[in-house]
Amino acid sequence: MDLSDAPQLPDASHLSVVLDLSPTQWHLSGLLSNKYPLSLNSFLSHVLAFLNAHLASQHENTLAVFGAFPAKSLMLYSSTLHNPELQSIDSNSYAPFKLVDSTIINRISDELDAIDHSEEEDAPCALVGALTKALCYVNRISLPPPSNSSTSLNTRDSTVLPDPRILILSVSPDLSTSYIPIMNSIFSAQKLKVTIDACQVYGPDAVFLQQAAHLTGGSYLFLERRDALLQYLIMSFLSAPSIRQILAVPTQDRIDFRAACFCHKNIIDIGFVCSVCLSIFCQPVPVCSTCRTKFPIKTLQRLNASRPNVPSLNKSGPPSVVGTPQSRTPASTDSRRNLPFPGEQPLSTTPGNGNTPATNGSKH
Amino acid sequence: MPPRKDRDFVMGFDSDSDISLPEDDVSTSTKVKGKAKAKAGDKLRSDKGKGKAKDAQAYTWEASYTRSWDTVQEDEAGSLQSSVDELMARGRRPNLSLLAPAAAIRRTIIRHLVLLLDLSASMMDRDMRPTRFDLMLQYAREFIAEWFDQNPLGQIGVIGMRAGIGERIGEMSGNPQDVLKYIAERHKLEPTGEPSLQNAIEMARSSMNHLPTHSSREILIIFGSLTTCDPGNIHDTIDTCVKNKIRISVVALAAEMKVCRELCNKTGGQFGVAMNEGHFKDLLFELIPPPAQRATSRAAGAGTGSSNPAADLMMMGFPTRLPDATAPTLCVCHSELKSQGFLCPRCLSKVCDVPTDCDICGLMIVSSPHLARSYHHLFPVKPYDTVANLENVTNPSSSCHACSRPFPTTVSTSATEGVSPVGRYKCPECHHDFCADCDVFVHDVIHCCPGCGN
Repeated sequence: MDLSDAPQLPDASHLSVVLDLSPTQWHLSGLLSNKYPLSLNSFLSHVLAFLNAHLASQHENTLAVFGAFPAKSLMLYSSTLHNPELQSIDSNSYAPFKLVDSTIINRISDELDAIDHSEEEDAPCALVGALTKALCYVNRISLPPPSNSSTSLNTRDSTVLPDPRILILSVSPDLSTSYIPIMNSIFSAQKLKVTIDACQVYGPDAVFLQQAAHLTGGSYLFLERRDALLQYLIMSFLSAPSIRQILAVPTQDRIDFRAACFCHKNIIDIGFVCSVCLSIFCQPVPVCSTCRTKFPIKTLQRLNASRPNVPSLNKSGPPSVVGTPQSRTPASTDSRRNLPFPGEQPLSTTPGNGNTPATNGSKH
Repeated sequence: MPPRKDRDFVMGFDSDSDISLPEDDVSTSTKVKGKAKAKAGDKLRSDKGKGKAKDAQAYTWEASYTRSWDTVQEDEAGSLQSSVDELMARGRRPNLSLLAPAAAIRRTIIRHLVLLLDLSASMMDRDMRPTRFDLMLQYAREFIAEWFDQNPLGQIGVIGMRAGIGERIGEMSGNPQDVLKYIAERHKLEPTGEPSLQNAIEMARSSMNHLPTHSSREILIIFGSLTTCDPGNIHDTIDTCVKNKIRISVVALAAEMKVCRELCNKTGGQFGVAMNEGHFKDLLFELIPPPAQRATSRAAGAGTGSSNPAADLMMMGFPTRLPDATAPTLCVCHSELKSQGFLCPRCLSKVCDVPTDCDICGLMIVSSPHLARSYHHLFPVKPYDTVANLENVTNPSSSCHACSRPFPTTVSTSATEGVSPVGRYKCPECHHDFCADCDVFVHDVIHCCPGCGN
């Protein structure tokens, strides 16, 4: 006992990986028109190498892999469940690695084949389901072992693992309908003392994942050189959070604290909040849809007046663009601001125009 | 273990009019504890104990005292583990069944609380270990931390009652660290003299006068004394509190006082007498979740057509946080050169901390995670149904949908009401099966069903 875990060695750690396996996004990511195309196959080979590195860095390390498919999520691999389907041993590969790799690859290909091409492919990816499952799994393995092994509880305290962490490899843009479940997952991760790391491999910056990493003390990485994924993974996510204080892992840039409104599920930076239940709306509403509180008519008039142009009730257009007062300011710059993003999602409009004047303004 | 037994004992006694002196309480409870232990030993061994217990039942309250040790059964191997597991499983199920609000509930989430601490000489009593005073400080700290965790937009002020006057210990603050600092220094709070309820309540009331109407105003009194020395008529004070919509809750450490109960009843607060250390903590922590607004106010609001004047719509901005590594710039709140900070989304000026009002454009800036902390109160997960048997289920799943632990294949025989004999709990929405651990975890912590959360 004393010899096996020398004081310098870090304790065994648990890693849960959540893989975003949206076929649409991976197809887009693999297109050669991208600057650094990354196909699902090469992505998986990078990830498997990373997982093997995690298992190799300490014998006691445990691993669980969750997959988020369109409208479905499931556990792909866990080191506590022993998969019976062990293939013939390949003399050229290390058996534990081979087991991990083949199990994950088989499960993924089974699931991707099972996707009904007509409708399900476009369904949003079940990232929240996979994340909550990962949390349930961490909760389960961090609970003391069940009654039958209670006699050995004192001898094996190390079964209650330290430093559990979750790594999310996402390729989809933020799904604003899942704002509340994601925030709930973040707070439960805080309670469980789980670190959430997030890596946006493809697509725009993910606001919610930034917040997740920030609030749980993990790091968020937006991948620029996607062909160097493995290097990013190993340099910034392989080490346990306790060691990262010593290493110089990339720190987070600015963190977006924007939220999704309850009414249109838009991601907004200025919202209208019900004082009773704190529901967020992107435009002044007479009645809170969550708690059915009626707001005084005076407030509505005041808020509508404070917004320079009351939006015409155009139902087809994205309401958030008209809903955020910032984008409606009748300044001369405003028209210029709005032009480049006519039909774009609101999440990409605001940070772009928001940041440049900020640094300029405060420096003067 | 003694605290639990103690508590059961007094509950059987009569918690409503517990006006005996604390010394009495302690002596009787210890006496009974000793007796109980002896009886427990007898009971488990032989039947002789029964007759003995009957003889010993000299007091009527003994009849209503449930002997918790009688319900525990040893299993074949002589171990108590199965009973303990069962009790634990049963203990957590009822809590879940209570959480099922049919309609949308309203809760006051922006709360203002004044903590009134009794710092009179009676707080030095040692009936709670180490003293009432030390225990109060310790629990108050835990209370404050937990309170801010659940009410991130709330504010707490602290007022002490000693030597006949109310003494302001800390102003209203939304920063848990500030509030904890108020009561960190024990020697500054040394109890002396008599408490004055009226003085302290008046002081708390005046400090909450200016608050906006949409936030709640609450006073929590931790009261250890049996007397109060007031300069005027305290009933006038109570009436003004009712008029100002201040909710007063009292946790008494000694015994029930009529004026305290009246305070709570009239203002809509809660009143409780702590019977022991654990119960004291329970009473305090019951006051942490945001109070649900009474249904009557909604009915009235709907009837008259005019809304609840307490409700309002507020414009808020969600800022961008700048990293520590940016070039330092001046903040608008202190005019200090800093690199980290938050950018107001409307005027893009930099403020040091949130929540705050932007000094330039006046927009209320909050961090959206602060708001989101309370959302699980609004959208609770429906309680899972207990799966009684697998007879009607075709092709049952072999493992928990959340943590993938295989379900037990054997049917447990000792299961009681509310506990599934096959260890499965089904979500009424997505019809996936979950294990008991995940059931509790999903409802207590995550507040989001892994099956429905798509």
